[in-house]
Formats: sequence, structure tokens, C-alpha cells
Amino acid sequence: MLSTPAPPTARTTRRPFAARVANAGRRTARFASRNRTVVFFLLFLVLADTGFGLFAPLWGRYSPDDYTSRIRACAERPRDVVYVGGSPVAEGIDPAALAGVPWRGRPLNDGYAVGLSGGTSTDFYYATKLACPVPPRVLVYGITASDLNDARGEPHGARTLLAPRDLVEVMRTRPDAAEWTARHYLEGKFGRVSNVYHYRHAFRMWAATRADALAPGSCPEALRDATNQREHADDLTSPTGYAPLRGYALRRWDRMKAAGVRPPFKYLDKFRTGSHLRYVYKLADWCADHGVELVLVDMPVTTDWESENAAAFAEYRVRLAEVERERGLKVIRGGRDGAGLTDEHFADLIHLTPPGCHTFNAWLRGKLEEAGRTP
Amino acid sequence: MIFANKWFFAFLPVVLFLYFALKSRAHKYNVLLVASWAFYAWLSPWYLWVILLCTIIDYCAAIRVEDSDGDRARKRWLVVSIAANLGLLIAFKYTPFVYDNAVTLGRWCGLEVRDRYWNILLPLGISFHTFQGISYTVDVYRKQIRAVRSFRDYALFVAFFPQLAAGPIVRAVEFLPQMETPPTPTADQIADGLRLFLVGLFKKLVIADQLDVLFVSPVFGNPSAFDPAAHRWAAVAWAAQIYCDFSGYSDMAIGIAKWFGFELPRNFDVPYLATNITDFWRRWHMSLSSWLRDYLYFPLGGSRRGPVRTYFNLMLLFVLCGLWHGATWAWLAYGVYNGLLICLHRAFDRAATGVRWLDAVRATRLWAVLAWGLTLSQLVAMLILVRMESWADGWLMLKSFAASDVWGAWSPRVPVWVPLLVVAVAVGHLFGKLKSRWGYVVPSPVRAAACVAALFAVVTLTPGVTKTFIYIQF
Repeated sequence: MLSTPAPPTARTTRRPFAARVANAGRRTARFASRNRTVVFFLLFLVLADTGFGLFAPLWGRYSPDDYTSRIRACAERPRDVVYVGGSPVAEGIDPAALAGVPWRGRPLNDGYAVGLSGGTSTDFYYATKLACPVPPRVLVYGITASDLNDARGEPHGARTLLAPRDLVEVMRTRPDAAEWTARHYLEGKFGRVSNVYHYRHAFRMWAATRADALAPGSCPEALRDATNQREHADDLTSPTGYAPLRGYALRRWDRMKAAGVRPPFKYLDKFRTGSHLRYVYKLADWCADHGVELVLVDMPVTTDWESENAAAFAEYRVRLAEVERERGLKVIRGGRDGAGLTDEHFADLIHLTPPGCHTFNAWLRGKLEEAGRTP
Repeated sequence: MIFANKWFFAFLPVVLFLYFALKSRAHKYNVLLVASWAFYAWLSPWYLWVILLCTIIDYCAAIRVEDSDGDRARKRWLVVSIAANLGLLIAFKYTPFVYDNAVTLGRWCGLEVRDRYWNILLPLGISFHTFQGISYTVDVYRKQIRAVRSFRDYALFVAFFPQLAAGPIVRAVEFLPQMETPPTPTADQIADGLRLFLVGLFKKLVIADQLDVLFVSPVFGNPSAFDPAAHRWAAVAWAAQIYCDFSGYSDMAIGIAKWFGFELPRNFDVPYLATNITDFWRRWHMSLSSWLRDYLYFPLGGSRRGPVRTYFNLMLLFVLCGLWHGATWAWLAYGVYNGLLICLHRAFDRAATGVRWLDAVRATRLWAVLAWGLTLSQLVAMLILVRMESWADGWLMLKSFAASDVWGAWSPRVPVWVPLLVVAVAVGHLFGKLKSRWGYVVPSPVRAAACVAALFAVVTLTPGVTKTFIYIQF
């Protein structure tokens, strides 16, 4: 009995690989030809964006990222001591003035100040981990009440300081701010996808400078802003991280008070502590795990600021005492009265002027020497 | 600003993805409708019921119009639809205006009337979607289209999110046939959509918002602090701003619609190149002009009932056009001014046409240039009316604008960017003319490079705070 031949299988009818590749290539070419405007658009977009990114150092001068700059500079080499905190540290601690403080018999020569304006304890924890790939001998955290205020958060920190694992950790540790943190984290990551988007402000500053060179007086406000940014970028190259904003050198709180000038300062609004505070404990644990001695410095603020926010400061001080007791930390207090700081030493409610910083650092040096002697 | 918002840039790709990922017509349109309502609720959360109510009334009324046998019944349902739409529009938009004027009138008559202490927030796009609803039921009544039996389809026509907030005013006869089968965008539509979206963003963020921040708002806010030359530049800049603001929105709406495969009507055709006021209204907010013509001017008799009635119709048309934009005396004055200019132009045109030497003069290039210059200056003067903060300020600006000294006078108070941005608008107009007149086709690489440049300009040169679209407030 003759059997009918089997129908050709898919395998036998399949065209050779080369033919399939050629066919796919033709299809792709047809698609690209049909959509050539969009294809050119995407191609030019990638090229232009990449080209834009080649000028990153130039854009960096016109819109410095102070968080990244300070962390990178600090991480360049192992440090004896790192000073971390918010803008009170950025304006009020000059590592050069504190260099050579003896600590357990050896001087702390190489110090760096990671002062992250607007930051919170959460940000300082992650900044410390990034800035200190080799743990320093001593970590000095210049703490103040606003660092612990759970009613606030610093978008810059969520955007630049967190790795994906850190994001998950923050969302768990600070469930009240989980959505906020995730949103800013994603914005930060998406913002870095494009160089043009990332450096857009810098480009505007650069363009304003160029335009003013061509047509003087054409964009005075942008030019002023660009000049400030460039000056600050230059200051950020300081080897110790001490780069006070130039505007603070010209301001004095006593004069502002006399003139009735009162800029809004809402960092203690709706004050409540809890989730940022957990990061002070985490910082203490990190230091303990890495053999780093942690010193907390209660940063000086004006009497006005403290009296206006008496309840917040009272709660802050209770929390500080709890941390001190539970983790056995050294806490340096009383800087304002101890150093003899008055309103003339402050540029505003909480930031020291350069002379104020000098006075405070002289006092702090003595306190650190004292702390370095006691086990 | 709704189309330059980070949430919109997340919303749009999601909707596009779902729209193209789903296969069936019903699912596609369900997604689009839910997205459109969500878009409305995002921008105007308290008033979603307004658009739903209008949609339900017009949907039912149109079916009744079609299904009714007698003409009286058909007319009754048409009146229900028109009254409902106009009733909502008047209630939301004109109540405060009427109340304020009643208070003033009452005081003149010696009555003690309290000032208004309340305000009515305008539902998003009410001036646009009510006109769409009216045009739909009228078209069904005129038997130009069949009533839509699917509520989803009709609701999507009303709420289609790209044009929901500020037009163009889309007619059912233009849109519903496109919905028969879900359109698939062609390569040209995708490319055109990209170009229109980016050009629209550029017009809005780089030109309109910059002009506003740099110069227009400061001068119109306090004109007495500026010199006459600055007033003139501010008036010109304002004309450029309002054009870029509104046409920018229209471009983006048309561009986004193209990505879904839908074609929306053009709304602008280089309006500042108009050589007379009639020509201008054929080029500016074309969807409104043609709507008013087809649903108001023609039903009133148009030009078929003698010259007096024609001029009356024209005046009425433009007074209502002015009031459509806003319930203020300034917008009313804008409408009257336009109506008068249209009537004057029509009278002149009727008288001059057929006079041989005048026809010859009007055919010359010099005449075209003069007519263009005169028309443009009238338009700019007219726009001062709708931007002035008070009548005194407006009068001051108008006096400066009409002053006889050299027109091109410079003022040190004018930022150097203002003329540059105005020139950009002029170049855009000339390019538009070039394209439409000689059918100039831009090569793909050039078009793509221009899109990239527009995107970079939008990203880098946008002012920190963007303003909402001007026409959304109407």
C-alpha cells in the first residue's frame, strides 16, 4: 500500500537564514524610509544630546551641583575627619581652622566639610556613605533642629544621593515620605537621561553670559545669576569644602533686624520628629560598624530663631539627649554662648557670617581637643 | 500649563500605548474616553458633571430629533439642546458680569445693592464643548449627519482630550466619520504630529511665555512707568504673545490628535499677514469663525436679506464673538470694534469693486503692502483693548500706539529679546506663507533638525514659571 507523501513541514518550507535576514533588513529599511522624519529626529536628538554632554565641565561651572561636588571631592582620598550637616555646616565650619586637632594622640590633619544646604538627617546619612568610601577616624555631624523636622524633605537629596537599594530603605524607614521620595528619586534619574535637560539651567546661564558679551545689558538678571553660579562653582573647588556663599559675607542679622527685614524661614514649620531621627541612629550605627567616632555638634543659631520656635527646639533637644544616652555619643553643645556669638555674627537666623564662623571655629577647636582627650 | 506638565508627559505615552495595544474598537474608544474624562477631572475636578450633563442632553436630544416624525417635535428637541448648552454657558460665564452691571445700574437708580462677594469658577473648555454640542444637534436637525447611537462614541467626540480645553472647535461632521473604524496613524501623521507638537510647545513656552514675563505683563501692569515707544513694543509683543499662545495650543492639540490617527481642523493660517479685517477672521481662530458663520450668520439670513440686515447680522455676529471670549466690557468693545471694521470693509469693498481704476490700484503690490500695514496696526490696537488692566491704561497705550512720531522708535526699556521674539513670529508667518503659496516641502532631515532645535529651545529657554493658556480662560 502506497502512502501519500507527508505535507511539507514548517521546517522544510522555512527560508534560509540569510534570506530571512535580508527580508527583515528590507522591511526595516522600508519602515525607516517611511518614517524618515521621525528616524532623523531620534538620530539628531541622540547626537545633539551626546554632543551637549561633551561640554559637561563647562555646564558644571554655570550650574554647580553642590551636593555632588562636595561628595566627590570628599571621596577623593581618605580623610582624618569629615564634617557633615546642612547649610549651618556649609557656612559655619571651616576645616582649615580645625586642622591639626589632636584626637587620641594623633592630629586630625585632613578634614573636609560636606555641608549640604537644605539637607536633613536622612540626606546626611546617605551623603556620609558616599563621601566616605574609606571611613574617616572621626565624623562630626553639625546637627540642628531643622535636620529632624519630618515635615520637610530635600528633593536634591532624593535625586542625587540615593541608589535603588537606598530608595527602598528610605521608603521603608520613612513611610510618611515614601511617595515623595520615590517621585523625586525618579525625577532625578529621568532628569539625567538627557544631558540637555540635566544641564538646561547651566546652558541658560552660559547663553546669558554670551548674549551679554554681544549685547551688553541684554539680560542683567540672568547675568547676575550666572556670575553668582560661576563664583560658587569656583568656591566649591576649595580643598576643605568650606565655600560660604558670598552673599552671606555682606549680610548681618543685627542690621537686618534693625532695618525690619525678615526673610521667610520656614524650616521649622509643622515641626515633628520621628523618621529623620531614625537616620541619626543609623548614622551612629554606621560609624560604630566602621570604627568611626561620631561627634554631634549642636550648631549655633540666633536667639531670635530659638525663642520663636521654643517648642521645636525643646523637642529637638530632648531627641538629641536620647541619642546621646542610647548610643553613648559625644555631643558638643552651647556653641552660641560658649563662643560668644551675637546677632552680628549671623548672616540670617541660622547661618554664620565668615567672621562668625571664625569665632565659632576657634571655640569648637577647643571643644574638639577636649573631646579627643576623653575616651 | 497642561501640555508641558510632567504629568501630561507620563499620561500621554500611557494612553497612546493602551490605545494601540488594544485591538477592538470598543476597547480603544473606552480607553480614550476614560483618559479624556480623567484629563478633564484632573484640570477641572469640580465640573466633570458639566461636560457629562451636556453630553447626555445632546446625545439624547439628537436621537429624539432624528426619531421624531413631526417638525415641531424635532424643533422642540433642538431647542432643548441649544437651551441647555447656552444656559450652562451663560450661567457659568456671564452671571458675575450681569450681576456686577445690575449692581451698578441699581446704584444709579439709588438702590442699595451689595457688591458681589462670590465668584464662579469657569468649567474647563465650556465655551468650546457647548459649541460642539450645539453644532452636533443642529447638524442632526439639518439632516447633515445621522445621530450617533453609541453614547461612548458621542461622549468621546465631545471630550476628546487634545482639544478639550481650548479647541479647535471640532464639528461632528468632521470628527464622527473618522471614528467609524479606529484610525491608524500614517507615517506622515506621526511626523506631522511631532512637528506640530514641538512647534506648539516652542510657540507657547519660548515665545509667548517669555514675551509675557520679559515685557508684556510689566508694561500692561503699569503703563505709566514706561515711555510711548515701550508701549508700542508692548502692544506688538502682546499681539505676538496671544497668537503664539493660542495657535501653540491648537498646534499641540492637532499634533496629539494625529498620533491617534485623527485629523482636527486647522485653526490658524498666518493671520497677521491678512490684508483686511475680513481676511483676518478667515485666518484667526478659523474653527470659531466658521462656526459662527454656519450656525449664526447664515441662519440669521447672512447677506441675503438686504444691506441693512446684512450689516446688522455682521455686527451681532462680532458682538457675540467678543462676548464669547469673555464677559467684560472690554471684550464687548473688542466685538463692536471688529464688527464696525468688518462693516466698513464690506461697504468699501462693495463700493470699490467694479470701479476700474480702483480695481487696478487694489491689484497692485503697493496696495497690498499698505492694506497689510493698516490691517496689522488695527489688529494690534484692537488687542490692546483685551489686555489693558483699566480703561485709563488702555487709553494711554492706544494714544502711544497712534502717536505720529517715528514708528520704529526705540526705547531703552525694551529688552533686546522682545524684538527678536517678535521677528521669530514674523519669520514663522513668512515661512507659512511660503509653504502654502508655493507648496514648499521641507526635506525630512531639515524638518527633523528643526524639531530637535525646537525641543532644545523649549527645554533650555523656558521661563521658570509657565503661564496657563490664555484661551483656556475663555
